[in-house]
Amino acid sequence: MKRTALSLLSLALLGSAALAQQVTIKINGYGGTDPAIVGDLINKFVKPIVAKDNINVVYEPLQGDYNKALTTLLAAGNAGDLLYLPGETAGGFIATGKLLPLNGLVSTTPFIKSLNSVFTVKGQTYAIAKDFNTLSLVYNKDLFDEAKVAYPNANDTWKSLATKLTAVKKALPSGYYGICLQPGFDRFGAFAYAEGWKQFDSAGKTNLLSKPFVDAFTWYTSLAKDKVGVTPSEISQGWTGGCMQTGKVAVAIEGNWVAGFLKDNAPNLKYGSTLLPKADATGKRGNFLYTVGWALNAGTKNKAAAIRVLNALTSVDAQNYVLSEGLAIPSRTALQNNPFFTKAGAGSENARVVFQGATDGFVSGFNFGPAGADWSKIVDTALASVLSGQKSVKDALASAQADMNKLQSR
Amino acid sequence: MNQKGQTATAYLFLTPFLVVLAVFFCFAFLRTIYYSFTDFNLFDPPKLIGLKPYADVLGDSSFRRALANSLLFAVITTTLQTILSLLMAVALNRKIRGLSFFRAAWYMPSITSSVVITLIFLWLFQQQGVVNYLITQLQSVWPLILTFVLILIAVQVIQVLWEKSRKLPVGYFDPALLAASALIALFVTWGLSAAGVVTAHEVVDTVSRPGQITPFLYQYFADKWLSIGGVQIISVPLMVIIFMNTFTTIPTLMLFFLAGLQNIPTALYEATEIDGATPFQQLMNVTVPMLRPVSFYVITVGLIGTLQMFDQVAVIGNAAPTDTLITLAYYVYANTFKSGVAPVYMASAAAIILAVITLLLVTVQRRFISPDAV
Repeated sequence: MKRTALSLLSLALLGSAALAQQVTIKINGYGGTDPAIVGDLINKFVKPIVAKDNINVVYEPLQGDYNKALTTLLAAGNAGDLLYLPGETAGGFIATGKLLPLNGLVSTTPFIKSLNSVFTVKGQTYAIAKDFNTLSLVYNKDLFDEAKVAYPNANDTWKSLATKLTAVKKALPSGYYGICLQPGFDRFGAFAYAEGWKQFDSAGKTNLLSKPFVDAFTWYTSLAKDKVGVTPSEISQGWTGGCMQTGKVAVAIEGNWVAGFLKDNAPNLKYGSTLLPKADATGKRGNFLYTVGWALNAGTKNKAAAIRVLNALTSVDAQNYVLSEGLAIPSRTALQNNPFFTKAGAGSENARVVFQGATDGFVSGFNFGPAGADWSKIVDTALASVLSGQKSVKDALASAQADMNKLQSR
Repeated sequence: MNQKGQTATAYLFLTPFLVVLAVFFCFAFLRTIYYSFTDFNLFDPPKLIGLKPYADVLGDSSFRRALANSLLFAVITTTLQTILSLLMAVALNRKIRGLSFFRAAWYMPSITSSVVITLIFLWLFQQQGVVNYLITQLQSVWPLILTFVLILIAVQVIQVLWEKSRKLPVGYFDPALLAASALIALFVTWGLSAAGVVTAHEVVDTVSRPGQITPFLYQYFADKWLSIGGVQIISVPLMVIIFMNTFTTIPTLMLFFLAGLQNIPTALYEATEIDGATPFQQLMNVTVPMLRPVSFYVITVGLIGTLQMFDQVAVIGNAAPTDTLITLAYYVYANTFKSGVAPVYMASAAAIILAVITLLLVTVQRRFISPDAV
């Protein structure tokens, strides 16, 4: 009896010692559907690998506006050991000094180079892209068939696409449109890149009055003429994917996320995907890389364990799973030959086009620079005022440049 | 001794409030003043940089728009809500049938969450929302309405003239004749419509031809402004918010006026009635002066509330372009909660400016409507 009690006691002591050594790595990420997806990823691919090192992994989603919530947590010193770093706001977070440079800690070579550059400031890389998206041109096959106009294809230029869209608009009854135009830099910017425009010069300043930008801006907004192009709000939609869902818009410019949305919300819609059109002036196309990276909190007390978890999260197996589930496109270069890309079906076709988009033409990370979302608001306002017919291109860009100068001189 | 004990008890009861005030108001206010002279960005230790934050804020076009929007919103909304709530209180102070139902019904918008009301207004004023739909319907049935009104007037005039010819005392707004005229007008309009003489316009979603109209699709939440001489004065989305805010705050303010109205001696009204005063003269010469202390309170609360308007702008969010709706309170919020480093120094300077403006406005109106001037 005594012996049993003693052994039980020693077991309990051993257990508590083991518990004391166990490290918990907290991950901050998006709310919404991410907790289910990442939870699955952690349980299947991360926990089995790191459990032997006595590492436990917990996912803590930040509901609501992720960027604002993360800013508060970082400022208060309560952020997780690992965290999502959105590519577009990376500049603002890196400037806080609260993220750990990964150089020498994690190898960035297996990952697509342009994705690494999104998180690289002054030679230091602050995050590993977990996956990515680019823009593709999604078109409604039925509307093109009904209008007897050829589908858009990879050889289209801005001019030939505009001709096709105008023909579609003319052939279809009123209430149908050629293209849905988002009044935002998040879509339009890709066209400015196609003209060879650079978002920031060597001094970090933005020129909205340079010829490439003005030309792209003029072309994009000219589509609103004669209602060939329509903004989502004009047909009571929140985004251009919603325009596609109505079945009344022939073309939208979206990423791979639209595939899942259309599968759920417009299962009978016959759509195809192709690369964005080439600028007539340069013969090149432009594109955005939308990405979210895994970053390390500089204040983590468990650096080594957090790095182990980060490596497991970006492992080949984990990324294969993300692709096969149709969630996003993996960030590892080696996965471009994954059989998923060659499967038949609109979803796979879109994934293939989105993957191709990452390396075709002038591609740049979707990023606002250190000024954060205020930077893009200036371009968005200019686009909205021209697309809604409130201002001319010249007036809109002149006032946008004045606002930009003020923002960047602070 | 007894008084000493009472004072201690009073302080004891006041302590929780004083602690909350000290921590969440005095401390926060003093820190904000300090930050408004530094380069604080949430992450780096703040360094004093003098008046630069104020210069930056005043040089920011977004701030100037926020300032203009806030002042316009405060002045227009406070004026509208004060006048309308007073009129509503006067109306509901009469002994009418179903008074408690009306009082309760009119109070409903006040107890509904402002977030919910904002969402309902967003839905009403969408491009394909209810307001545009009603305007489209009104445009399409306009010929019928016009026919009805013209026939009604004609029949009424004929009836009155006939009655007058019989030497009967009758006015043009006699309710009994009006009801009969309306009934006749309704039948005649219906008959004309059935015969195809007068028809409603057809609503067709294409270029309009005679007899057809395109749907009214006005975009309320867009970059649309009322401009005078090229200067953008007030935006259409802000007008929608003014309408909404007036609608939701009138009931609360109406209650204050109702309470005030109960205290006005009826003898005063009786005296004016003997003197032959009209209801309007009674309102202007008895009700309004006697309600001065309540009006002072209502205007003060209205000004402070409207100057700090935030929730409606935050809920509408990206549905309307930022500059059309931005207010000082939203500007402070937007400059504090960003992605990473944030210009908290600018938000602090803006917050102090907002506090100074609020104090100034309340002081100015105190000079005009002193609560003691009864």
